[in-house]
Amino acid sequence: MPTLHIVRQSTFNSDDFTQCLQVLRNNDVIVFIDDGCYNLHHPLISTIGSEANIQLSVIDKHAKARGITIDESLYTIINMNNLVELTLTTNRVITWQ
Amino acid sequence: MPHILPKLTAIINSKAPFSNTAGKDALDIALIFGSFEQPTSLFFQGDGVWQLIQEQNGALISVKDYLKTFAAFEFYDLENIYVCQESLFQRSLTTDFHIEKVQVLAKKKFADKLATHHTVLRF
Amino acid sequence: MKKIAVVVTTPPYSNLSVTALDYVETALKSGVELVGVFFYQDGVMHANQQAQIASDEFQCLQQWQLLHQRFQLPLHLCITAAEKRGLSDGQPNNIHPNFTVSGLGELVELVNKADRLVQF
Repeated sequence: MPTLHIVRQSTFNSDDFTQCLQVLRNNDVIVFIDDGCYNLHHPLISTIGSEANIQLSVIDKHAKARGITIDESLYTIINMNNLVELTLTTNRVITWQ
Repeated sequence: MPHILPKLTAIINSKAPFSNTAGKDALDIALIFGSFEQPTSLFFQGDGVWQLIQEQNGALISVKDYLKTFAAFEFYDLENIYVCQESLFQRSLTTDFHIEKVQVLAKKKFADKLATHHTVLRF
Repeated sequence: MKKIAVVVTTPPYSNLSVTALDYVETALKSGVELVGVFFYQDGVMHANQQAQIASDEFQCLQQWQLLHQRFQLPLHLCITAAEKRGLSDGQPNNIHPNFTVSGLGELVELVNKADRLVQF
């Protein structure tokens, strides 16, 4: 019963991503979009244990537009079509904005 | 077969009550969903927990006190009110709220409860 | 085939709304059924046909119009939120005709019609 978490804010600016992490469950999916891309290199990312099997994804153009490099060993690079697909393959969507 | 069970809606309150309209806008949705007999739960997390503390008086700063309407939740069949214990703890808040029948849940239980809902709105 | 409903709460002058439009357009073009978009909070300002946006800036309203006309996408406006922001379907009417004036009851409908609800 995975949840799709859409993270749209920089955690340097808001508490949204921290709250997302509070309710994260095993096998959930996080997609960083908009200013959420500024979280890609934030220390909070390393608090997500690998045993939780969280898929971390980034919308390619949202990161590129902001000049943010994507570590492909950590993140799956996706596009808007993939986000629509994820909406349907997960069980619910929470937008953190 | 989809939709045999009623769809559970969760509304997460994440903002402090007075400087923006998020709390009021979320309340309006909750009351309408309640009056349409749409099973709806309210979650309070982050600064949203400030909406629940006692002795608030928005009138002092010209805010229409929508928090008083929380007392009517039961009348609207809004009986599932969940508060994130960790958010209370981070703010040195106790569990003295201005409404009754609030369930304070530890992080894992709060997350599990949220994941039983079909639709999630967050304000 | 699963259906999606979308709630837009961000104003037309925010790039966050460009993302919402991108998502909706992508979903429609890939054949997903969108039961409707519900505009709430600052999102209602998308319907203001009197807003002046510089011609070299992103034209949200024009994009909503295109999606409405091409895909018959229902665009619902929360009238309480709209009136609070100076929008009116009275005289003079500044709400674009592609938008349907609705209340929060419509959001209940959309939640029940859709398999997934996405908030932007």
